[in-house]
Amino acid sequence: MGPDVTGRDPLQPGRIVRFAILTPFAVIVSLVFALPLVWMTASAFRPPEQILRYLSPLSIKAFLPTSPTVASFDELATGPFPRSVLNHLIVAGTTVALGLLVCAMAAFGLSALRFRFQGALFAIVVVSFLIPFEAVAIPLATLFRSWRLDNSYAGLILPGIGNGLAIFLLRQFFLGLPVDLREAARLDGAGWWTIFWSIYIRLSKPALLVAGLILFVFQWQAYLWPLLIISDQRLELAPVTLAKFLGQFNFDFGQLFAGALIITVIPVMILIPLQSLFTQSISKSGLKE
Amino acid sequence: MPLQGDPTHSPNGVSRIRFRKPHILQSEGAAAIAFIAPAFLALALFRLLPTWYAVIESLKFKGAFVGIDNYRFLWSSESFRNCLKTTLIFGAIVNPLQIFAALVLALLFVQRLPGIRIWRSLVFLPVAVPLLVSAVVWGIALRPDDGLINAFLNLFGLPSQPFLTSDTQALPSIMLLVSWVGVGYWMTFLIAGLQDIPPDYAEAAALDGANWWKTLLQITLPLLRRPLAFVLVADTVANFLLFAPVQVLTRGGPAESTNLIMFEIYRQAYTFGDIGLASSQVVVVILVLLAIVSVQFRLLRGDGS
Repeated sequence: MGPDVTGRDPLQPGRIVRFAILTPFAVIVSLVFALPLVWMTASAFRPPEQILRYLSPLSIKAFLPTSPTVASFDELATGPFPRSVLNHLIVAGTTVALGLLVCAMAAFGLSALRFRFQGALFAIVVVSFLIPFEAVAIPLATLFRSWRLDNSYAGLILPGIGNGLAIFLLRQFFLGLPVDLREAARLDGAGWWTIFWSIYIRLSKPALLVAGLILFVFQWQAYLWPLLIISDQRLELAPVTLAKFLGQFNFDFGQLFAGALIITVIPVMILIPLQSLFTQSISKSGLKE
Repeated sequence: MPLQGDPTHSPNGVSRIRFRKPHILQSEGAAAIAFIAPAFLALALFRLLPTWYAVIESLKFKGAFVGIDNYRFLWSSESFRNCLKTTLIFGAIVNPLQIFAALVLALLFVQRLPGIRIWRSLVFLPVAVPLLVSAVVWGIALRPDDGLINAFLNLFGLPSQPFLTSDTQALPSIMLLVSWVGVGYWMTFLIAGLQDIPPDYAEAAALDGANWWKTLLQITLPLLRRPLAFVLVADTVANFLLFAPVQVLTRGGPAESTNLIMFEIYRQAYTFGDIGLASSQVVVVILVLLAIVSVQFRLLRGDGS
């Protein structure tokens, strides 16, 4: 990649370099990243006793379901796993719904309305979100036990609904909406709730989508928190149930891979199509201000 | 912030007359408080209160006030110093490694190559996988006798490695697993940053005869300063608070070699039941986080650009 004096963007090298060197390199890198997941998927559909069969010596068959079967999923369906996936969906879904309402309201109060201590209040919101939840999860779990919120859906959901990053993103978006809309509605006699609900929420679909995604990912990634406050198996979340499989002395590889695949497929279906929207919004909110 | 000093903002009195029913939400200030209250309550109860609670509990031993004894004990404790050292070594290696890899991959995946969206999505895929699932899958892949990674090593004629069961390889194995998850994630932020750079900059450099390498060092990287600073801090915080892989794969071992600080706190509180000591460790973690965050503000405000 020598000197380029043609006036072309030098960060986009020539056609030959692109096709002959960079493309194969990009393909190899992406396959390396995808390989463990391909292995996981193939193993989930393999007869349980054959899971580690094609590894020594390694054969391409390790990444292909040779005689596909859903036996592992059937096994899994008889245990506690379906219930914990359902729990996880209930917790994540409720968190998204409540969290969007709470965070959008806060963002509205911090952007469209003006009052005396707004700056100070916004600073407190920002600082509390700079302390990651994991850092305070262990003392909070002790508090939750004394409040009798352990072993309950409420205990799992509550810490997820006030999300600083979601508030920050929505506020940023609301600040970009024209002030005239609000003023015109005020002159027509609309109350603040009407302005919030039928103007700001209506116009903020993309920002709400991203904020909802943040709230969802927070709960779907949760492991430490459910581990701390749930001891009742009926309320367990999927990752904790999966981790318990691994802790068993003679665990079933097939069920482990099948469970891993189920927990993975749900966020992948949601995240991959929204990948660029997601990262662009987050990087923008994290970089500006 | 467009709203500040906004001249079109009309005083409340004008619109208030037109309200049919008097309502608490009439005054702008009262309305704002009502809108913010639920979120503020959530942040106060679930972020600030536990922080305060940790500070109070850290001054107690079995419920009795002991002043800074817990901190004194931590300071002199060989095992806590070892845990801090492990956490620092882990961060000092894994953060630069991930950011460098993310930068290289961002420069690659920002190119207009055939099928680039698909290749980029494959690298991003591990991000969508919950960390616990990644830990479980890698835990099996890294099994010393019959794991996938050793199968690959054997394919290239290399001997099998003990990985998570060895006190020298366990920490690097966890680095490998978190990088598989993290690199694609941080890469997307850097790609977003690269796409924000106006192409004129690079074109101007090309007219001046700058080559690829020179353009990268003198134009691209300085303009990428903000996304890089953001990624640096966010990555550092995430790796500092790493918990799931340690808890499910190594439980801090072998020989305490993977005893990262979040797992140490968990063990202190739940295995040994020493809430006072665990709380003082939580306070140490929060102080370190605040230090990291203040560095972030300095980097992002910073000079230049």
